[in-house]
Amino acid sequence: MNRRNPLWRFTGVRPTAWLFFAFLYVPIVVLVALSFNGGQSATLWNGFSLKWYAAVANDPEIVRAAKNSLIVASLATLIATILATLAALGMHGRTFRGQTLMGGVLGLPLLIPEIVTAVATLMFFSFIGLKLSLFTILIAHVVFCIPFAYLPIRARLQGMDPRLAEAAADLYASPWRAFWRVDFPLLLPGILSGAMLAFIISMDDFVITYFVAGAGATTLPVYIFSAIRMGISPKINAISSIILLISILFVALSYYVGQRRR
Amino acid sequence: MSTLQQRQQARQLRHRLLLSAPAMAMLGVFLLVPLGIMLLVSVLQGGDYGGVKWGEYSFEAYVSFFYERDLDDSLVFNTDYLQIFQRSLWLSVLTTAGCLLIGFPTALYLALQDEKRRNLLLFLVTVPFWTNLLVRVYAWILLLRNGGLVDSGLGLFGFDGSLGILYSDAAVIVGLLYSFLPFMVLPIYTSLEKLDWRLVEAAFDLGANRRKALQRVIVPLAMPGIVAGTLLVFIPSLGNYIIPELLGGGKSLMIGNLIQLQFGTAHNWPLGAALAFVLLALVLLAMLSYNLRFRQPAMEGHA
Amino acid sequence: MEFGEPGQGMKALDDVSLEIRANEFFTLLGPSGCGKTTLLRLIAGFEQPTSGVIRLYGEAMQDLPPFRRPVNTVFQSYALFPHMTVAQNIAFGLEMRGLGRAEIDRTVSAMLELVKLPDVGRRRADQLSGGQQQRIALARALANRPKVLLLDESLSALDLKLRKEMQIELKRLQADTGITFIFVTHDQEEALTMSDRIAVMSKGRILQIGTPSAIYEAPVNRTVADFIGETNFLTGEGTPEGLRLADGQCLALNEPASGPLTLAVRPERIRLSDQGNLEGRLEDIVYLGTDTIYLLEVAGQSGFRVRRQNDEGAGNGLHPGARVRIQVPAAALRVLAE
Repeated sequence: MNRRNPLWRFTGVRPTAWLFFAFLYVPIVVLVALSFNGGQSATLWNGFSLKWYAAVANDPEIVRAAKNSLIVASLATLIATILATLAALGMHGRTFRGQTLMGGVLGLPLLIPEIVTAVATLMFFSFIGLKLSLFTILIAHVVFCIPFAYLPIRARLQGMDPRLAEAAADLYASPWRAFWRVDFPLLLPGILSGAMLAFIISMDDFVITYFVAGAGATTLPVYIFSAIRMGISPKINAISSIILLISILFVALSYYVGQRRR
Repeated sequence: MSTLQQRQQARQLRHRLLLSAPAMAMLGVFLLVPLGIMLLVSVLQGGDYGGVKWGEYSFEAYVSFFYERDLDDSLVFNTDYLQIFQRSLWLSVLTTAGCLLIGFPTALYLALQDEKRRNLLLFLVTVPFWTNLLVRVYAWILLLRNGGLVDSGLGLFGFDGSLGILYSDAAVIVGLLYSFLPFMVLPIYTSLEKLDWRLVEAAFDLGANRRKALQRVIVPLAMPGIVAGTLLVFIPSLGNYIIPELLGGGKSLMIGNLIQLQFGTAHNWPLGAALAFVLLALVLLAMLSYNLRFRQPAMEGHA
Repeated sequence: MEFGEPGQGMKALDDVSLEIRANEFFTLLGPSGCGKTTLLRLIAGFEQPTSGVIRLYGEAMQDLPPFRRPVNTVFQSYALFPHMTVAQNIAFGLEMRGLGRAEIDRTVSAMLELVKLPDVGRRRADQLSGGQQQRIALARALANRPKVLLLDESLSALDLKLRKEMQIELKRLQADTGITFIFVTHDQEEALTMSDRIAVMSKGRILQIGTPSAIYEAPVNRTVADFIGETNFLTGEGTPEGLRLADGQCLALNEPASGPLTLAVRPERIRLSDQGNLEGRLEDIVYLGTDTIYLLEVAGQSGFRVRRQNDEGAGNGLHPGARVRIQVPAAALRVLAE
């Protein structure tokens, strides 16, 4: 098929696509632009300034929230990725009875509306009498990070030669060494992308965290939410822009690396 | 099969179950058990100041769904909650329709680009997926508020005054559209990318103009992607909390906000649990019918 | 029809011009990548020429989209719609033309009759065998009664036996319907069996247009001679007596020529004969059932082929290594350009 042939120009398709991209990116651009506003207003432009970024850096509450976010995301990513890797290895190979069900459970957090997971987890902690804290946030994050880490690893395993794992298992002398020498290096890209997904998802989560966060255990999204409820401000613009730009930089980098590897 | 082989297989299976055990335990204890407790709470008596009275059963929560207790303790039909459910469904349907309307042409546009350009555009579609939803929704407050950028923009075209659109159903729909559009574009694009374009050439060859080719060949063949996208937009829209909270401003409530309220100011855990359970049931029902219709082998079926 | 060339940077077709007659079975023959499929897609409307005209019964078509051209295609992959039944596939074009239900139904069953598959209408296209899909693709294209039917390597996916059957079938359909067929193939035998005329293509150009016998008997150049059938080439110097080969043997020609010459001669036109006009050494004998191929070294060139029909049974006492004489009739020699 020759894509340059005008035959393939469906009416309205191109304008709609451009509308889509504008719709997607204009708010982001506006937000980032306004974060450099020198005035007190969140929306009225009053000259370029970096002062709100300075304000963000000097706000102990934001710094603490950012630290909390990083701690939770790092630990949740580590735990979820280990659990997911083990589970993916266990689920790989000849099907057994109950495997479909287990696969379903592993994907369940993706299916259940966040708000439902949030309130169910809250009631559970209340039921067992666990005080809400950074620890409860961590537990909740590990749960919903598991499928995000699991799916890329599982996909990677499915793309691998099935005989590889068997061969490794047959190396009777030392299956562990076989695993570290053969499977693990091949699996690593899947594990890394799973971990990256889990980390981002954990960093970004608001709803579940909001419900299971105790007093003083504020993460960055929870801080921003409360700040927005108090009223918009150029400081929120700045912290929001920082979060956006960091993630965009992150994905752009991985895209660039992926393109170069081709 | 020899017994040696059987024993070896049994051992392998045991090892594999052992490997899966930690993740399964985590999800079992901290997801399945909480869901069970939620179901239990929904049939318990509420505590006077939040929480529940464990051991005192009552269907009050489900009853209060439809009825309100009058002063003399008689039940009066009450549509408040039903209305919020209805609004949630309606806003989600509108969002899904809007996503389809914008998403399908966009996906088609992507599929018709040459590879290099397509990869770049595809990347641009996925970027928002990696960025914080809360922050992006916040950007819409800046745009939509009275005297915000949309108003100023309209002012440039001689439209004075303000739209007054923030904190309304319209703002919620804009926010939902904005958040979930990529979820519609990606699965449709995946279907279109797999599509054998020679079939479309065949349709052209047989006298179908572009519209007919679209109607009779492209759309039917992209149906799995369309349905998947619809589901991926509809389900998270239905249970969304942040967007109606921030852009609906407490005026345009959806199920998610109603649930949250029961755990906040309303102090009615049983009702909150019941609402969450009904929401979950709706979602699972939708997923189930999708699975039955479109993917016979379930997620792990073909290992 | 006339064609100009499309192409930008790399030219898929270069200055192609040809005229196809009404009700003709016309074949575009050439190796893969020669531009024959591009030419077909130009006629169908899937590609656009950078310059030139495509005329159908005098009307310029090159700016019309495929859905406005009275031309239908049988795709190499058949391209049957997988989400429709066989009957719906055949009805598609008719529905696009806005015909009534009754007429559509009538045409669909007539088409199924025509391709000898009257009972498969309700099946889904992907439930059919390759040969059946081929016939349905034909029926779907013919249902619209196009002025021209384009067939893109349409038989190449079939096995040999089915292919032979379909060759005869296609010929019959063409005769029955009176529609102009333009057939694309890389299979010279297929082209020779079915076509009224053949255009031999190479590297985006048309080398020769003619009837199968003209192309076979009188190839214009080495490429055509080489591509169609088996050919022996003899090179040497033109002299008043004829062609002088490298080893000094001389071959009489009907028309005298001079300078360096290349001659083509078909293996079946040569006879083994003690009174022959050329001498060579027998290298090998290949028995083919109906025929036997004798491979000779002639004038220092190895692989010179002589094909004889085994009309008197196998074997004539010859063995590899023997010196033999062959008779090359002057009438069978063709002087090639280039």
